[in-house]
Amino acid sequence: MPRRVVITACSAITPIGYGKETIVNSLRQGKSGVKPLRDDGLLTDHIHSRVFGTVDYPIDYGFTRQYTKTMGPVAFYACRVAGDVLAQSGLDEKFITSGRLGVAFGSTHGSPTVQRNIYKTFFGNLKEEFSSIGAVDYLRSMVHTTAVNITRMFGITGRVIASSTACTTSSQAIGFGYEMVKYGMQDAMLCGGADEYDTTTVAVFDNLLACSVDFNNTPERTPRPFDSNRDGLVVGEGGGAVLLEEYEAAKKRGATILGEVIGFSCNNNGGDLILPNLDGITTTLKLALGDAGITPEDVDLISAHATATKMGDVIEAQAIDAVYGDRPLVTGLKSYMGHCMGTCGVIELTMLLYMMEQEFVAPTLNLDNVDPRCCMLNHVRELVEQRIRIAALENFAFGGVNTCLLIKNGRHLT
Amino acid sequence: MSRDELLTKILAILEDDFEFEHPGLDDNLRDEHGFDSIDAIELLGKIELMLGFSLSRAEKEKAMSIRTINDILDYIEKIQASRQQ
Repeated sequence: MPRRVVITACSAITPIGYGKETIVNSLRQGKSGVKPLRDDGLLTDHIHSRVFGTVDYPIDYGFTRQYTKTMGPVAFYACRVAGDVLAQSGLDEKFITSGRLGVAFGSTHGSPTVQRNIYKTFFGNLKEEFSSIGAVDYLRSMVHTTAVNITRMFGITGRVIASSTACTTSSQAIGFGYEMVKYGMQDAMLCGGADEYDTTTVAVFDNLLACSVDFNNTPERTPRPFDSNRDGLVVGEGGGAVLLEEYEAAKKRGATILGEVIGFSCNNNGGDLILPNLDGITTTLKLALGDAGITPEDVDLISAHATATKMGDVIEAQAIDAVYGDRPLVTGLKSYMGHCMGTCGVIELTMLLYMMEQEFVAPTLNLDNVDPRCCMLNHVRELVEQRIRIAALENFAFGGVNTCLLIKNGRHLT
Repeated sequence: MSRDELLTKILAILEDDFEFEHPGLDDNLRDEHGFDSIDAIELLGKIELMLGFSLSRAEKEKAMSIRTINDILDYIEKIQASRQQ
């Protein structure tokens, strides 16, 4: 018998702030976290796009060397938000270490900063007879570094899923975590994703002509999802986590329930690894509704993937139109912070939970003139004060991976 | 290097790179300073740089029985002696 799965904690480190108050203020004030691209002393001068969704405020981690020795920058983000949700959830240490709590957490490619240092060391000036690569560099940089540093720091002994599917990394983590709890494999899952400052990712998208380049001197005016003058995505950094629990147990222990995951879908386009695919995306949206057992009319808000690439937004708009028509509100939260890659799904979910709690919907920033090919949707262009019952969270990734999560407002759950 | 010179250098490494605070020469490194197998491998790399030559696999495997700072000094002295023969 499938079980209901609720969200009892969330936390995010984002280009528009860390913690609920700062993030909500930025969303309400239309504040962008896109800044000039920081110099990395390597690739920056070769990249046309000079903007980045930047985390530029100090974070008090307080981690000791016992833990930091196996952590790259990406794991700092991951462990910070993981610690936040464990504390916020009120779960006790006995449960956390019982094996009934698992971790589903990922990043795009571990820690590129550490990987870069490995190559610098390897090809650097050290005499080659010395073992010049640090023993812990693999642990710091490997693709599942976020998930296992979380298990290590908090003594979590349950299942580990380390998704790594670029832009769907954390939405997959949440979806797979949801299925773990729904079908009784685990009683709770700590889910999310993180990605650190990395110019390699910018260079890749830049090379594919997918990065924004026309607003290098006015970073806050890009990205521009669904706008006629959009010119590509902006890469960003950050981390986010949610704690998923079985509903009856959460209710019994008096946990605060922020939302319920009522549906998840994940499919693949089965072909091109880069181009967006209308059939694949449309199918994803329908599969999520089927999993939740609801109709399109039940969904009040769509958090679109909306990266502001020229074709991606059009294809997504067509898919939303085909499945939902023009009734639900549509917002593109990447307009505030750029595309935080593997962590975008969990950051956008955290923002959705804040907006559900505080009964408002943040508009898509920089949506000055809606592209005629995207104008059939009910775009949120000014802040809306409205209660959201059910929201859809869409994310699509290179590799043709598509996900959709359906989230029910946690207030007045029955 | 004399044992005193080695001690000064090893203490500097343990304090600067491994964040040891006031280590005793016979402290159990694992129990009292959280020094684990990962740290041991890292320390061997630093010892190689300090000595100016690389250690063989057999020499490195012998280091896995080290428990105290005095053990580290004994280990390095044996390595130095064997290299001088």
